[in-house]
Amino acid sequence: MSRAIQVRISESVVRTIHVEDGVASPLEMLPILPPERMAELLARELEALGFVRDGRTCKRTEPDGIEVTVDLETSTVAVKLGAGAQIAESIERTMQVAIENKDLAEASVRNTMVRDLDARVADQTEELRRAVTARLEAKVADLKVELDGAIGRATVGALTEKASQLGQIESTHEDEAGNVTIRVRL
Amino acid sequence: MPDDVPAVAASEHELLMLARGLIEGHVAEVGAIFYRTRPLPPAISTTCAALMRETLAHVWPALWRRGGIAGTAPGGRIWERHPPVGLTFSVATLQLLRWLVATPFAAPGPTYPPLEAASLTAGDQVMVYFALDAATGTSAQAVIAAQPLVRAAPLAWLGFAELFGGRSPPELGGLCHGAAAVVVEALTSDLARRWRAVELTKRAITSPNALVTLGAAQDAALGGFLAACDQHRRRDLAVFVIDAAAPLLQRGIAPMPARLDPTSPLASRSAARVAAGSLLRGVMTWAQWDQAHRGVRFIDDDYTVAQRLLARFEAIQATGAARAAAWLADLAALVPTTVPPSAATVDRP
Repeated sequence: MSRAIQVRISESVVRTIHVEDGVASPLEMLPILPPERMAELLARELEALGFVRDGRTCKRTEPDGIEVTVDLETSTVAVKLGAGAQIAESIERTMQVAIENKDLAEASVRNTMVRDLDARVADQTEELRRAVTARLEAKVADLKVELDGAIGRATVGALTEKASQLGQIESTHEDEAGNVTIRVRL
Repeated sequence: MPDDVPAVAASEHELLMLARGLIEGHVAEVGAIFYRTRPLPPAISTTCAALMRETLAHVWPALWRRGGIAGTAPGGRIWERHPPVGLTFSVATLQLLRWLVATPFAAPGPTYPPLEAASLTAGDQVMVYFALDAATGTSAQAVIAAQPLVRAAPLAWLGFAELFGGRSPPELGGLCHGAAAVVVEALTSDLARRWRAVELTKRAITSPNALVTLGAAQDAALGGFLAACDQHRRRDLAVFVIDAAAPLLQRGIAPMPARLDPTSPLASRSAARVAAGSLLRGVMTWAQWDQAHRGVRFIDDDYTVAQRLLARFEAIQATGAARAAAWLADLAALVPTTVPPSAATVDRP
């Protein structure tokens, strides 16, 4: 007759995870002046918004960790956010088995527990990723408004420069809707 | 039974009925054959071979009936515009038909025997196209599209790119000359209808990955075909892009996926939106061509063709092209515009 014994198994896992989400989009710059000059004008506007210029890119890192990178050469903006966490999970199980089946049962249960721990880590990773996505999504709408403003001002700058190449600027008027009228004497 | 009626085995009868059903577009009859299976002997009789030849001779009229009669070229109907050209069929057509009769589509997937890739003639490709068409809306369509022989058919890619996600298309240049070019011309209306139908489905897709896969397959097929048309100076073969997009542009039905899973990563959703613009990118290629056609002078060799293509592009015009460009920009924007769900229908042109 076989003897039943109680087996207690515990498994734990400690993992460092990193999740990232991001989006890239082209910037709509009108080709009023040569691309290099348009890039310069945009860079100037971006620097006024706290971007740091590094060659052909302008970067800004928000207090919440969101990184905004504008590539002046390709006229694209990339926004990304990463987050990391250390996950510690453990499981403990107790079971009654016949003594002659102890090794087999223990191995089987241990495999199940490892799979369960992996699933828990995956769930937490996905949870963190969703949080990152939600933060990013909340930010991009404001960022778009900010970048549209910078592009608009750079465009006005380019138009003014173009107008000065055509003749003597007599007056510049901007209405409440943002429409700009430049009067030029040829 | 009169002596002059040719007699064939029951399995051969099934084979012939399938061929006739595919060619004539008898969907219900073909569907019934798809879902019952019949073992086939390794060879067909000479009587069956003769009847099959006779059946396949009806493929050209069947193509004309699919709406390509009025084309871009002057000179009347399609058979008047082109000198007679033979449509050849190889053993691949028979392999396809035998496989369709023998395969138990009602059974679970792993039991399907594979249909190995083979060198395909224009006629073979038409039969592949007809088979995919007849299986539209059934579970058999995906099984047929997964076969190596079907995946190797450029015409199948052109008509059913959405079924070949995650794969690379074959070389599409072969569709721009010879009998295959006449086939594509004959299928212009059919292709336009298909591409437009797929375009409308994009608005309801929720999985970003599914849309990325669909868009990649469409981009590969359409991009490859437009480049081939340009290279072979047969831009007229790509007018289905205009016919597919024009009603959508006129009615303001953008391929904006408004129901993408909001819990999926922003990167995936952004990639999915960009992928949704495959047909619009085809319109932009046409807009570039249109600019080039405007520069063709009366004394240039291509003047007549350019004028004809200019007339075809009038269905879209510069305003339609500008709208397509604006939609593409919106699809790629940081924060895309939300599309109202009310305008999701389109009449057939």
